[in-house]
Amino acid sequence: MIALVALALVVLAAVIAEIALPGKAVYHAGWYNVSLCGLAICSIMAARKRFAAAHGIRRRAGVVAIAFGTVAAAVAGVASGLLGPDNQNVIGAPGQRVRIEGLGTLDFPLSDASAADVTLERPLRGPLAIGPGTRNAGNFILRASPRDVVFVEARDLRGNRLTITQPTGSVFLSPVLLMEHRQTIAGMELPFDSFNVPAAQRVVKAVLFTPAQAAMLPHNAETGEPAVLFAVDDENDRLLPHAIALSSGGKSAKAGGLALRGRVAGYPAVDVMSAPNLIAVILSALLVAGGLIALL
Amino acid sequence: MQRYIVWLVAAAALGVAVMVFEPFFFAPSSRSEGAAGFKGQPAPAYTLRDDRGAAVSLADYRGRVVVMNLWASWCPPCRAEMPDLQRLSVYGKSRGIVVVGVNEGESADRASAFAQSLQIHYPIWIDANQRYGRSYNALGLPTTVIVDRNGVVTRAFDGALTFDQMRKSLTAAGASL
Repeated sequence: MIALVALALVVLAAVIAEIALPGKAVYHAGWYNVSLCGLAICSIMAARKRFAAAHGIRRRAGVVAIAFGTVAAAVAGVASGLLGPDNQNVIGAPGQRVRIEGLGTLDFPLSDASAADVTLERPLRGPLAIGPGTRNAGNFILRASPRDVVFVEARDLRGNRLTITQPTGSVFLSPVLLMEHRQTIAGMELPFDSFNVPAAQRVVKAVLFTPAQAAMLPHNAETGEPAVLFAVDDENDRLLPHAIALSSGGKSAKAGGLALRGRVAGYPAVDVMSAPNLIAVILSALLVAGGLIALL
Repeated sequence: MQRYIVWLVAAAALGVAVMVFEPFFFAPSSRSEGAAGFKGQPAPAYTLRDDRGAAVSLADYRGRVVVMNLWASWCPPCRAEMPDLQRLSVYGKSRGIVVVGVNEGESADRASAFAQSLQIHYPIWIDANQRYGRSYNALGLPTTVIVDRNGVVTRAFDGALTFDQMRKSLTAAGASL
């Protein structure tokens, strides 16, 4: 009896931990999931023993309920941990809508502020605002985490604003660089991205420096703000003369016949983590609790 | 009593199994949609300035069928398509059809001068921050979105269209041709 209850409580505690502390690598580890399966099998074996020894339908039903609740909780844990999809960090540009199959559509706010919430739109359910705290959505737990993006503006030397395109980015017509790539320069691993200015037939690479990294760059006044290094190529990817410039503090910099401005801002990305289905875990816990009451 | 318990446990088992195994039938994978993905959805609308500086919005055109064309002066297919859009705007005037050109990312002076050079007379809006382009997930330029009288997207196209293609695409929006 004690073994059966202890097994149930351990399994329930494990799957509740997966919901309370989502996104840990251990939940996807083989040994963890094999342990959950092992505990479930032990629970069935303990229940068989108790079932044979139990007198009366109430006590027998109690044993079955505890065993079933334990097995259901373990299966929910294994489903999300071992068989469930890996965690993903969904990065979207302001205004972008990204569909996650089996979950819904993430609507990234047009607002430039990191405080603005990403909204999850699901069929037959109301919209769910995703902020820094975790939000449960069926078999997934979602959480917004801010990351640095760069809002760029390009003008010709007469001051005319020019269209920015990102042929290799997630949104073609976005002036917001998501800085998803990494490059090592002088021992520093730096985020970078690129964009095109088709009207000027220019391809521009943008490298982001933190305030500390920017302070180490030559010819840069220490502003205490992040900086963006622009390197301008022609459309055949040949670097042009006088085509490297640094924009810091949101100021414009001239390079390769363009006036470029980079403004660094925080913008939410969304962590999508598989987790045991909350309703399944609640049902499992209720079955275990009901079984315990029946046995008392 | 025993029968009820068996049924109760069976029902709970079925419910739990459906919930637990659902992710395997719908594995999450993110993907972006082009403007065509907005078909049947309310058209996102933002307040912009037109090339004369007046505040304009797609929402102001409720009750009319709107052909919204995203363009830029550097884009050759946009340039090729604009005379046909001008023709459509004249054709649709008495039919409750409005053509709007949304310039993506360029200065008002540049957009206006370019439109005038092609004898374009339909409204030109200036989307300096490329809001329409990114919120409609435009895959390129030109992108054309057809919005019906209720503000719902009925069709969206990536690439240049001819006058006949534009006219045919309006039937889904309930325009009288």
